[in-house]
Amino acid sequence: MKVDLLDFVEAGGCSAKISPKQLEEFLKFLPVVSDPNILVGIDTHDDAGVYRVNDDLALVFTTDFFPPVCSDPYEFGQIAAANSISDVYAMGATPVIALNIMMFPSTLLPLEVYASILRGGADKASEAGLRIIGGHTIEDNPPKYGLAVIGYVHPERIIANSAAVPGDLLILTKPIGTGVILAGQKLKMAKDEEIREAKALMKSLNAAAAGVMQKFGVKAATDVTGFGLSGHALKMARAGKVTLEISLASLPLTGGAYRLADEGCIPGAAFRNLDFVEDETFFADDLDYNLKMLSMDAQTSGGILMCVREDVSDEVVSALREEGMTASVIIGKVMEKGEKHLRLVNNA
Amino acid sequence: MLIVDTSGQLCPAPLIATKRALRETAVGESFQVITDNRTSFSNISRFLRDNLTGFSFTESDGIWTLTVEKTDSTGEITDPSEYCTTDIPHFSKGNYIIVFSSDKMGEGDDNLGSLLINNFIRATKELDLLPDKMVFYNSGVHLVSDKSPVAGQLQELEKMGVTLLVCETCAKHYSIVENISAGILSNMFEIAHAMSSAGNIVRP
Repeated sequence: MKVDLLDFVEAGGCSAKISPKQLEEFLKFLPVVSDPNILVGIDTHDDAGVYRVNDDLALVFTTDFFPPVCSDPYEFGQIAAANSISDVYAMGATPVIALNIMMFPSTLLPLEVYASILRGGADKASEAGLRIIGGHTIEDNPPKYGLAVIGYVHPERIIANSAAVPGDLLILTKPIGTGVILAGQKLKMAKDEEIREAKALMKSLNAAAAGVMQKFGVKAATDVTGFGLSGHALKMARAGKVTLEISLASLPLTGGAYRLADEGCIPGAAFRNLDFVEDETFFADDLDYNLKMLSMDAQTSGGILMCVREDVSDEVVSALREEGMTASVIIGKVMEKGEKHLRLVNNA
Repeated sequence: MLIVDTSGQLCPAPLIATKRALRETAVGESFQVITDNRTSFSNISRFLRDNLTGFSFTESDGIWTLTVEKTDSTGEITDPSEYCTTDIPHFSKGNYIIVFSSDKMGEGDDNLGSLLINNFIRATKELDLLPDKMVFYNSGVHLVSDKSPVAGQLQELEKMGVTLLVCETCAKHYSIVENISAGILSNMFEIAHAMSSAGNIVRP
């Protein structure tokens, strides 16, 4: 029996994330945990929590899971795992161990599907040098899969979303638009080669980005997922008390994303993200509407957005491209905190 | 008139259909879009507003019908505030007013008091019945200053139809008249009238 996982979902991948605006409301009610060993906690909305074990070792801990983004169970496993591990890389850390998290409707789907998803996850984990040492599955429909991952990093080499410094340039390592392509896939508007390209992007690990960031002493980065490029940029700007300016004309886009956005194939998550950022965002008058909405597009297993000193920025871009992150490009800059935390302009 | 029925379709299909209709319609002509999904309705409205396209809508039993007029895309937006209110469906107001005599809530730690009053204002927006009026006097006027973290929330409440009365004497006293970003500067007669004629007065 050939199973199409997409028949089971409405919102796939990081589009299935709860609205960032709502999330912030809920998180406010959580007790604040204070412990000097918590180096990165819930307050800065970073990609992962970081806990200092001793002066030489800090643990980076994160989890992520979501419903299917593609028809094939094995590929879904790979994408979900790459996405979960990405948060560890965004903190500049090395992933070491992980647990599977799975929700699966065993009465609706054959167990081979279950096995294929796990195998996809395991293969991606092994590519990352990560050991999966357990997990947990419950009955639920649609299926959902992801990992809880632990990585390690030297406490002084943590790359946080709060460390952006005015004058830094912004580099993005993967094209955006996977949310639009996924929506187009479901509506049969995306071409096969566009879907293939988007899936390849989502499967690709951000490991090289972590390595390059450590090599060049990058201090501030985040990975771009469900809140879209603009949403994550805003979180970074807030956490660092700076303003980020993104030049939309320079954004790398995955093939077909612009065409689909222009046809109106803009997923609901993009509007949710727009709603989240707009109060704190300056929009230039002449913005291209489709590019604006693509900057809001929820990414699944998106790229790393990093803040890099201007004098090494070209070298960093070259190093990323040599490591296979060929779409890496400078997309904007960090400025002193202005009236708004985020500025979207056409050209810098 | 072209009628695009997107009932039963989920986001972004209704938006795609809207955009297609917009493309196929001649300048000066109108079309209708029907959706039975609240999110799709709000996303289509948002899209139309962002693209300066005028529209009106009706809602009954969870079915939204938008009538969209295709204008010259270079056309001027008539009045942005007009659009801001269109996607906010009929908010009911209760027979009560809220009086803010201070920019803090309760007695005790000032930081906590500020946090609480801000949360109170955010919560007000979500109430089933909105207040008829909100009155700000003494240090309460700081809440409607453009430096207030809830200035945006209060502007939204105003757009939702709540009257915000701001004591002018107080704003002058604190030298923030220039900074008042929501509500109307008001005098004590008006404030006294609002308070004495209210069904209930809520004081956070």
